[in-house]
Amino acid sequence: MRTQTKVALLIGLVCVTIVVIFSITVYFFVNKYSYVDFYKRLEARVRIASQYYLEPGSLKAENVKALKDQHLEKLENEKEFLIELNQKTSITSIINEYKFPSEFVTELLNTGKATEKEGNLFYAGAKHLKNEKVFLIIVSAENYYVSHHLLFLRNLLIAGISFVVILVISLSFYFSRHIFSPIRHIIDKVKQISTENIHLRLDDSNTNSEIKELILTFNDLLNRIETAFETHKNFISNASHELGTPLTSIIGEADVSLLKPRSPEEYIESLKNISFQAERLDNITKSLLFLAQTGYKDKAITLERIRIDEVIWDTKQVIDKLNPDNKITVDLSLLPEDPKKLKIKGNRQLLQLAFANLLNNACKYSNNKQVTVFIASSDSQIIVTIKDLGIGIPESEIPFIYDPFFRASNTKLYEGYGIGLPLTRNVIKLHQGQLIVNSVLNAGTTVQVKIPLYLQS
Amino acid sequence: MYKTILIPIDFCVASLNTLKVALEENKGQPIKIVLLYSEYLNDSIQDLLFYSPNKIINSKKTTEFNEALEILCNRFGLTQSNICIRLLHNNKRGHLEPIIQIHNVTSIYIPEQYQLNLKNNAFDPIPLLGSLPLDIHKVKWNYNNNKSEQEQLTSLFN
Repeated sequence: MRTQTKVALLIGLVCVTIVVIFSITVYFFVNKYSYVDFYKRLEARVRIASQYYLEPGSLKAENVKALKDQHLEKLENEKEFLIELNQKTSITSIINEYKFPSEFVTELLNTGKATEKEGNLFYAGAKHLKNEKVFLIIVSAENYYVSHHLLFLRNLLIAGISFVVILVISLSFYFSRHIFSPIRHIIDKVKQISTENIHLRLDDSNTNSEIKELILTFNDLLNRIETAFETHKNFISNASHELGTPLTSIIGEADVSLLKPRSPEEYIESLKNISFQAERLDNITKSLLFLAQTGYKDKAITLERIRIDEVIWDTKQVIDKLNPDNKITVDLSLLPEDPKKLKIKGNRQLLQLAFANLLNNACKYSNNKQVTVFIASSDSQIIVTIKDLGIGIPESEIPFIYDPFFRASNTKLYEGYGIGLPLTRNVIKLHQGQLIVNSVLNAGTTVQVKIPLYLQS
Repeated sequence: MYKTILIPIDFCVASLNTLKVALEENKGQPIKIVLLYSEYLNDSIQDLLFYSPNKIINSKKTTEFNEALEILCNRFGLTQSNICIRLLHNNKRGHLEPIIQIHNVTSIYIPEQYQLNLKNNAFDPIPLLGSLPLDIHKVKWNYNNNKSEQEQLTSLFN
């Protein structure tokens, strides 16, 4: 069953149940009160009748009867009975003669007072002793209120319930339809979005805050999917290009060498070129593999307690060996006094790889100009800042620097594959850290690495 | 004997460069720091009834400002008891002098080039501070007004 129908039926059912319970309760209590009230009216008539039946001919009796006739409403089929009990009268004879209910007569004789209902006829009676004689005074009448007013109330309530049922169910369906219409609209719109038109977005002009939130969430999801889609497309295109270039060189070199017999020196030169390109290919595939491995968030890596300054110094040593012309300076002006504020939980090899990538980039893209590394620590994280005076990154290209194989437009003259920065970010992410890059074109780049401190409990 | 230094701030990271210079100049000696933020109070009776300096200070602090302050505290071995932030609500000497006396301020460091970022009811206390008969130090550093808070944090690393 559709949620819309479910909601409509649920609301309708709840409302109808409430109305039905309310109607039944009203009918029950009105009915009960009308019986009690009618018996009281009959008992009053029994008391009045006893006044003028038991003292016939007296002035008081005649006055009472006159008052009763003038002021008391005549009930429907009202009858009064005065029965004198003697040795000849028995319960059976009374019942047979007056057609009273047997339980009523029995109770009246036993207790001296009784009320009873048989069909539409109500009875009330009392036993009186006068001049050593026993009299039964009984008044019977039909309850006009029950037979007419209560019936009218019952019909009215049934009609009211039927009307409410129809109204509530119609309104429930209308409102559930009205509430779900933006959702249906969203579903229709989302169904239209495919890989061909992934740029389409849902209209967020809806004023309903929940629906607007849903639309914004969908749009945000579509943004991320589109970005991932674009990244994926770029990755395939860039990877094909990066892997294809050395392969084309290898094939070309081999083809040229095989065109005609050549001297051993030429073969050696050719093989050297092939080996260089193969090595480049090997480097790219290894980097790709490592990037993929560090990309798994759940990948188990061995974490140990390490000092970040030691990692930086070790990395600097490695860079010094690979690139002796570098001008990397480690600035200790913000180094915390407390060595505990330098400890993090991390993997030394991975962090060295990440910082080596960052420092290499800083040296490479600044043509070995001054590169400064600052180490600082707040109360919760270590902040390593690497500043260079290099070529910088064009502002419009900064959002793409973490895409694998992406290379900024001003780096054509520098060798590289575009894997270092995504790899570094993966490593920092594995350490629950943050990598922030700020850059000004032709002025330099500042990279900030923030890694949570190892806080001993 | 502690030396107490007063520094005007605007709760921007860049304004903490004055603190950095002051701490570097007084490295090795016991110091206390009073950071002064100047802002006129609202006329609202509700604000005056529920006035809380800590609430005002906490509402002004940004994550980057806290981070920068923590970095400087860690660098120079300062603890929470060595550093405090005070509010000045009137640009009159009579209101500033009690703060100077209570904290026994001996030196004031003020930025020479940097203009405090005056938002809402904030006012610049530097002219008033400069008129005090105390040891006034004017400090200078390179500053780019267009930098975001995050970029300002990196500017602390100079």
